Amino acid sequence: MNITKEEIENRIALYALISRLMITEIDAEFLKSIESSAELLELFPNYKNWDKRKEFSNTILKERYIDVDYTNLFLLHLVPYETFYIRDDQMIESGGDNPVLALYNSFDFRVDLDKARVVSPDHIGVELEFMYMLCDALKKAYEAEDKEGMIEILQVQKGFLQDHLLNWAPMYLINMKRESRTPLYHDGAELALEFILSDYEYVSEQLEALV
Amino acid sequence: MTKKMNNNKSSFFESRRTFLKGTTYAVAGAAVAKGVFSTIVDTPAFAEDTKFTSTPENLVFYPPFDQWDSFTELDGQDWKRGGTGRNGVQSAENPDGIKATEYMLVPTACSNCEASCGLTAWVDIGEYKTTKNPKDLKVKKYMGNPLHAGSRGRNCAKGYATQSQMYDPDRIPFPLRRAPGSKRGEGKWVRSSWDDAMKEIGQKMHDTLKVGDEMSKKLIMYQVGRPNENGFGPRVPQSLGVDGWNSHTNICSAGARQGTIQWTNDDRNSPDWSNANLIFLQSSHAADAGHYFQQAAGRIADARKRGAKLVVMDPRMSNSAGMADLWVPCWPGTETALYLYLANRILNEKGLNGEDLVNHNFVKSWVNWDRLMANKEYLALLVEKKYIKSVPQGDSYEDFIGMISEMYSPYTLDFVTKECRIEARTVEKLYDMFIDAGARVATYIWRAGPIAHRGGWMIARSAFLPFVLRGAMAGDKGGVGLHHWHVISVNGKGDKATQAGEAPAKVDAWNELAWPPEYPLSTYEMSHLLPHLLLDDEWRDKWKAKGLNVPSKLAVYIPRIYNPVWINPDGFRWIEALKREDKMELTFNLSPTWSETNWYCDYVLPVGLAGERHDQHSEATQPSRWLSFRQPALRVALEKMGWKPKNPARGTLEAHIAAGLGEVWEEVEFWATLIAEYVDADGSLGMRKYWTSKEDPTKTVTIPEWYQAAFDNLPNLKKAAAANPKYKDSKYPNYELMRDMGTWLEEDNIYRPQERPLKKEGDSYIAHGHKYPIDEVEKDAFGTLMVEHKGEKQAIGVEIDGEIMDGFHTLSKKLEFFSEWFAEWKWPEYAVPIYPTNKEDRQKMIHLVTQVHHDHMEKENEFALNTVFRLPYNIHTRSVNSKHLMEISQNHNPVWINTDDAKRLNIKQGDAIKVTITDTLSELESGYFIAMAVPTEATMPGVLANSHHAGRWKLKNAVEIPGFSHKLGVMGLGAPLYDMTMDGKIGTLKPKQGIDAGMMERQDSWQFKEYNKDLDNIWWDGLSGSWQNAVAPSHPDPIAGNHAWHQKVSIELAGADDQIGDIYVNYENNMKVYQAWRDKLTRPLNSSDTLRRPTHMKRTGPKLSAKAYAVKITD
Repeated sequence: MNITKEEIENRIALYALISRLMITEIDAEFLKSIESSAELLELFPNYKNWDKRKEFSNTILKERYIDVDYTNLFLLHLVPYETFYIRDDQMIESGGDNPVLALYNSFDFRVDLDKARVVSPDHIGVELEFMYMLCDALKKAYEAEDKEGMIEILQVQKGFLQDHLLNWAPMYLINMKRESRTPLYHDGAELALEFILSDYEYVSEQLEALV
Repeated sequence: MTKKMNNNKSSFFESRRTFLKGTTYAVAGAAVAKGVFSTIVDTPAFAEDTKFTSTPENLVFYPPFDQWDSFTELDGQDWKRGGTGRNGVQSAENPDGIKATEYMLVPTACSNCEASCGLTAWVDIGEYKTTKNPKDLKVKKYMGNPLHAGSRGRNCAKGYATQSQMYDPDRIPFPLRRAPGSKRGEGKWVRSSWDDAMKEIGQKMHDTLKVGDEMSKKLIMYQVGRPNENGFGPRVPQSLGVDGWNSHTNICSAGARQGTIQWTNDDRNSPDWSNANLIFLQSSHAADAGHYFQQAAGRIADARKRGAKLVVMDPRMSNSAGMADLWVPCWPGTETALYLYLANRILNEKGLNGEDLVNHNFVKSWVNWDRLMANKEYLALLVEKKYIKSVPQGDSYEDFIGMISEMYSPYTLDFVTKECRIEARTVEKLYDMFIDAGARVATYIWRAGPIAHRGGWMIARSAFLPFVLRGAMAGDKGGVGLHHWHVISVNGKGDKATQAGEAPAKVDAWNELAWPPEYPLSTYEMSHLLPHLLLDDEWRDKWKAKGLNVPSKLAVYIPRIYNPVWINPDGFRWIEALKREDKMELTFNLSPTWSETNWYCDYVLPVGLAGERHDQHSEATQPSRWLSFRQPALRVALEKMGWKPKNPARGTLEAHIAAGLGEVWEEVEFWATLIAEYVDADGSLGMRKYWTSKEDPTKTVTIPEWYQAAFDNLPNLKKAAAANPKYKDSKYPNYELMRDMGTWLEEDNIYRPQERPLKKEGDSYIAHGHKYPIDEVEKDAFGTLMVEHKGEKQAIGVEIDGEIMDGFHTLSKKLEFFSEWFAEWKWPEYAVPIYPTNKEDRQKMIHLVTQVHHDHMEKENEFALNTVFRLPYNIHTRSVNSKHLMEISQNHNPVWINTDDAKRLNIKQGDAIKVTITDTLSELESGYFIAMAVPTEATMPGVLANSHHAGRWKLKNAVEIPGFSHKLGVMGLGAPLYDMTMDGKIGTLKPKQGIDAGMMERQDSWQFKEYNKDLDNIWWDGLSGSWQNAVAPSHPDPIAGNHAWHQKVSIELAGADDQIGDIYVNYENNMKVYQAWRDKLTRPLNSSDTLRRPTHMKRTGPKLSAKAYAVKITD
């Protein structure tokens, strides 16, 4: 088996990170977790060198810049929902017909929309968190040395990336990068885009090796 | 993001990183992830089939009209738990299901600005149906009315705010009366009843009116803020026989009205946004915040989607300017120069193919050039004034075009760039866009320039010139039409429902307090001068000596949903007048909320908000005629479910009391009751019959009776109601149709109505509801059809190319480039669009030159202060009772200053600055206000911006009302607490406590707790706005009479003791400023005059007799 525990844990960490970045406004803990890790900070190169970080506290950065940018990117001007990108009429499917709902349901996952503060389960942050959940499940299968289980999970991951995330998230992330007004979201968009593309290749390679 | 970061070089595919190899991300996923998934499944994924869907097919979903009386909807909060798909619908068997609420949708109309967008009040009727307790009836939300032709189901933030206003924690729950023995403004109040209040008010009005002399007809004044209804208000003074109407147009729109009247004898234009190729906005109005914001903005968006361009001319980069194709920042008050530059190029240049740019077909037929060319004496005046070199040889159309081509040739690119302080490329681009749009250029000339300046009316007058020359004023598709073509006014026309059966007679008196002799052409009442005139003994004595019977006091002063103290300039003068019980003997404000003005009144009588009152309201928002019917939602819902008021003439009051809203009434029922039952209970004054019922003259007229008669004036509505089987057995089909729909489209697609053939019946023409035998109709030399009507010559139509047409509303029936009557009324040099082109002429033609012209800015810290821009979420004084609007606005009002100016003066973001106002005519200083500076590129250099729509204050946080269970809060959501001093000469305000602290201090006073669960989350203190209106002196324009809002100011960093919100006002000086503008600039009536005002010109309020118009002045 080529897959290492480190790789799975890295995938868990990265999906957790980018889903958290996009699901709601960041908090002090989030910034701390980036800033306390040299490796993670490297993934946010412009943020790392952002001159305003020297000038202002994290609280001020959040209130004056980062949250303002979040509002613009996720609430006002861009629409971070899959159905918006895939439906011809650009409507957000917030009801039971949302295509990702059946998938979540089939794995007994329920999205608490209130907690997520999103209007439908195909929000980019929720879909990325779903990938995080799947990676977590993969880790359990790995630890149990359940090769069949791992293959099944990897197939789900590949399918979800192929049928959902990669189908629309790149368009959103390119828009997000262009529209962003803070290095945090600019770098975050770039990171997310590069990561999900490379992760799809990674999952495909691993599946080929395993099957 | 910086340019460097957002470069076009994509790294996505070229430098794919390896995320997983050789690195360990030292972070635990679970610590970072939000965790919105749950894997513990305790409910089925899909519940049983249900009729509900949480996914309407499209965003414009509205319940079908036939379900408005009962429509069940899922609870929004519950839906977040997963919808019926997971939980099913709540019932006895399924208590954890999603709650479904049964609503009745009662249509009404928004009242938070003038646009009258349709609303539906969603009344929760489920519980009431079980308990039959009216207190269980609640309005849960306000949504749009999809039947409304103007608003098309849409609303802005202010519309939806109606719900939060309805359940305002500080709502006035019953009539309040100043405590006996206390002084006005002392803040001591007792509870009154409507009947006790009406008894005292009725007696005072009765005693005043029964004297019956001329003076008695001038002593009662009803001052309405934004009317938001069409014609009911003026009927009140009309029925009392008094010239007692006062309106707010002089602080709002007088300049635009004056300029438009001179062209069209209509007081405002009415564009066809949807079909325009170019949307040309002067100011942020229409697309941003004002007339008629939401409807106009939607139609402008439609036009832009089609490819129309948007130009916004404004010294400030408003929201509209920010998204426009061209922002034209023009020095405030110099816009006239720019419009005449456009005229110059249209007249003197050719199109790409060598064609004339003037639309000769239109101009030749529809402009009164012929009268100008025939008036050699006036042409000689133009030569004398050096507008033209010589009187043209001939009097043909071509001679006219040649003459005005010369007249406007001095308005060159070089001149306009210097005068307007604007870049040449911007001006040229504007011209190109204007020409490219052909005749499909739509505009709405209203606020900003025309109201803000001395001579602002000439901005409007000149603005229309390029539109006329291009044929865009023909009322055609995509161009500009006129207000009266597109509006319905029947709210005051319920006469046939009354015992009298007819409209009250014309009034025989002229009230100099509203229409002073210095301003015979004002548009309209000089309302911003009311306290000055009342307190100016010298002025009154002067006119008394000249033979006028000028009142020295008001017996009864009645503001209605109006806050003159706060919104007018020179607020301390208003407070002085209101405090004087010898000048205003009895005062009461019909007001849903507390206000700065209420604080100084004898009574505050709570009347309803948008879903709590009856009004017929219509506005000219598009080329059609629609109306809104505003209604009290709780009353309508109750009545539809079988409830009946004890007294049918007080249905709205009784319904509101029954439903627990409070003793909240409405004007229609109030005035009818007050006059019929208190002012003239025995009918001896002859007024009662105008308010008693035709059906039963012993009773006051009721709402269904009144509106049945009022709507009878609309033939299509009447026909539809009569034909509808639902109303076939009804006594009041018109009323019931409107009760159910809340809106009506009487006529659509109204284009070029001036070309309609003059109506003919047999041997007579029909005009203005009268028949004129054809052989008595005289056609003058210019083709105008004249008749004799009640001893006066009147124009009823015009012959164009052999056809007899309705024509425009003017005396000539054409658009009046040359305003002959204006010349006769003492202003000949300004009777054509004109503007000075050098400093010497600016001094001579001072009436046309703004008080904030850059000529006056000499020192480096002197600026023009731009005050008149609306905020999309605030509407004058109407928003202070809405939690969600105040959360957005927070009473915040910074001073915008251009970044270069700020740098030069060492002013930084957030600095407190002292803004000192000085009048440029009298050179008197008015005082200062302290405000927060915000350096920005979004205001042009030399021009500061600070909206006059914020800066609320109160003097007490809450008041004790004896017998009331808790304190009654005062404007808790939007006004901080201040300390005030005033001594007759100097007034000051100093902030004392923020909004947040004030509200937390009196949590036990919050009303409607069910709707205000988040009040403890008020985080705004409201301490960053100041009451600049009080510092500003009144600047009455000598012709239109508008308060010229903008001010010359000097700025400096605030001192250590200064605090944002502080104001210091020398209102003794302000009195002198108003006097200087009045005495140095006006051309008052004199012994040569026989009329108070031109009779053809609109005069708001009651209709006056010829006797009232007649004047004799002794010089």
